[in-house]
Amino acid sequence: MRGTSLVRRLIIAVILSQLLMAAGLLAAGEWFTRRQLLTAFDTALRGRAATVAASVRYNESGPGVIFDPALVPPSADRRHPDRYEIWERIPGRTGLIRVASSTPAPPMAVANAGGYADFHIGGVPYRGLLLRDLPVLDTEEGLRAPLPQLTVYYASPTLDLQQRVTALAIAIAGSSLILLLLAWAFAAWAIRRGLRPLRQLASQAEQISVHNWAFEAPDPARATAELAPLAGALERMLAGLRAAFRQQHDFLADAAHELKTPVAILKSSLQTLLQKPRQAQEYQESAEAALEDVERLEVLLARMLQLARAEQYADSGAPEEAPVPVPATCEAARGRLLPLARARAVTLRLEDGAAGAEGELAVAADGEELELVWTNLLENAIRHTPAGGWVAIRCRRDGGDVVVEVQDNGSGISAEELPRLFERFHRGDSSRSRETGGFGLGLAICKAIVEAYRGAISVTSHPGQGTCVSVRLPLAAGPGTQPSVAEQPLEA
Amino acid sequence: MRVLVIEDERRLAENVAHGLRENAGYAVDIANDGEQGAFLASTNEYDLAIVDLMLPKLSGQDLVRRWRSEGSRLPVLILTARDEKATVVSLLNAGADDYVAKPFDLGELLARAKALIRRGKGRPAPSLRVADLEINTVERTVRRGGRVAHLTPMEYRVLEYLAHRPRAVVSKEELLEHLYDYNWEKFSNVIEVYISGLRRKIDAGSEIKLIHTSRGQGYALRDESDAAAGSGGGG
Repeated sequence: MRGTSLVRRLIIAVILSQLLMAAGLLAAGEWFTRRQLLTAFDTALRGRAATVAASVRYNESGPGVIFDPALVPPSADRRHPDRYEIWERIPGRTGLIRVASSTPAPPMAVANAGGYADFHIGGVPYRGLLLRDLPVLDTEEGLRAPLPQLTVYYASPTLDLQQRVTALAIAIAGSSLILLLLAWAFAAWAIRRGLRPLRQLASQAEQISVHNWAFEAPDPARATAELAPLAGALERMLAGLRAAFRQQHDFLADAAHELKTPVAILKSSLQTLLQKPRQAQEYQESAEAALEDVERLEVLLARMLQLARAEQYADSGAPEEAPVPVPATCEAARGRLLPLARARAVTLRLEDGAAGAEGELAVAADGEELELVWTNLLENAIRHTPAGGWVAIRCRRDGGDVVVEVQDNGSGISAEELPRLFERFHRGDSSRSRETGGFGLGLAICKAIVEAYRGAISVTSHPGQGTCVSVRLPLAAGPGTQPSVAEQPLEA
Repeated sequence: MRVLVIEDERRLAENVAHGLRENAGYAVDIANDGEQGAFLASTNEYDLAIVDLMLPKLSGQDLVRRWRSEGSRLPVLILTARDEKATVVSLLNAGADDYVAKPFDLGELLARAKALIRRGKGRPAPSLRVADLEINTVERTVRRGGRVAHLTPMEYRVLEYLAHRPRAVVSKEELLEHLYDYNWEKFSNVIEVYISGLRRKIDAGSEIKLIHTSRGQGYALRDESDAAAGSGGGG
């Protein structure tokens, strides 16, 4: 099973961010509302305190400062009446004298800078305001003596305010919760929908197996910016793998097929030998023939390996090689085949070989592999040229390339055979090439090696007149090599 | 019996031919490509063709198709390195009688070759019987009335060929055609030598003569009394 689910993680992320937002909204809403309500509450409180102060009367002839508790404004909260305490300061004296108070009087609490204080009375929250040095307003006219100053401490219950704030918080939290559930459902739906191209791509990719290479990225995946590179990469990778796999498979099938005949020869030879007791000389001859068969098989295997290696390079690119002078490899190949040419009475010549300095015609390639190409081409040419004919190898420079041509005046190749010439195990005229010991691998090996070095090989032939095989390889840009780029037209 | 082997790998062709000559006592001709094979088949009488599938000039399958379209009843055994189902099916559909995949077992190839020849002659049993004469084509032994007759290889070939076509009169030319490959000189009087040898070894000492000579026509292997009884009873 999957360890983590992309959908689940995305949903969790969405929900978490929603939660965070809801919490912020709750905190901000509560703070703002509390502030607004408190400001209004404080204004009202100040007004009430001032009203109480204004209700204090001064009677010069009587007891002085008088307060009638009936004048206290009614509390907004009926169950919890307002609390107050009034003091007077008589001019010329120190200390405050209590004038009146509610019962019980509000407890003294630490007030803030504005004179407000918060406290509880019997579990009910109250907010009080202390106003100092207020003048007594309700007096008779024409008083001479300085009037006492009043200090009023007035408190109202804040229970209502608290309840309103709490109600608001609950409303915000509740609606947030509903929104959260909605967001959850929406996110789950939208994310699943949004990830559908990915799921389609995955299910398509799941179909791929050794037996089923067919893969075509679904259109939605191809149209999705994030998935398009992945889909493209998958398609390219599979196409490459498929081609490589097919090539391996074909090679194996061809190789198995080609190996069957030599094995059949060997097997039937030995079975014939064992059919009945024979003379020592017969055993000797048969053993020699069998050994020859095995040697032929060995050559076939060696050539198959050469081809497999060259084809591998042709696919993945040959390793970087130092420049090798081409004329020298041609000369070496000619040297190797001179005995065969002599045996078949064919003239083998190297034409205008090292024209100019050797370094001029250098190719970045493995020298032995180049020599193998020329050897194969020359051997083919010699085998298809009748006695008295000639075979020539020449190399020249053509722009940024080195061109090597192997030409003969032999039997030539018919037009219908030309396209199949480079197929592995293809034998032109089977009966003859079997007689001459060919396996139909030489030209396939040449093609694979040449292509591994980013070159090209082509054949022109006129039946009855001769054949010319032309190999084109890019000139190595090395020391002693003239810059070829300058000579080449840039726009080709 | 005379067999045509068409195979471009010379060593393989020689091995097969050697096996057929030595083990079965057949006359064998070898062709190295399809056209040569077609030519030999059209100019000689064969009792079986063993044909490689991948032949230069004319493929084995085309060869079989050509023979069948010409109405030839020659039994054909194909040698093939491709034993995929599709190849085998199309081969048999083209008119081939059997196939052997390379690398094959020589013993199996010979057994299949013999079986095809027997079927081609309408005698599927491996032992042939005429009256009290019994020919075991697998062991190549001959008994008359339980007594083993020691034949030379050529005498055996003549007898086997006659036994495959009981009661029919087989001409000297036909015998020559089917018993010798083209490398041999054909002298018609050698047949008479073998026939007289067979008479001596098989008919001598028996009341019923099995080998009959039709003057100017050829030879036949038949039980005259049996033939009379057979025609009477079978009618």
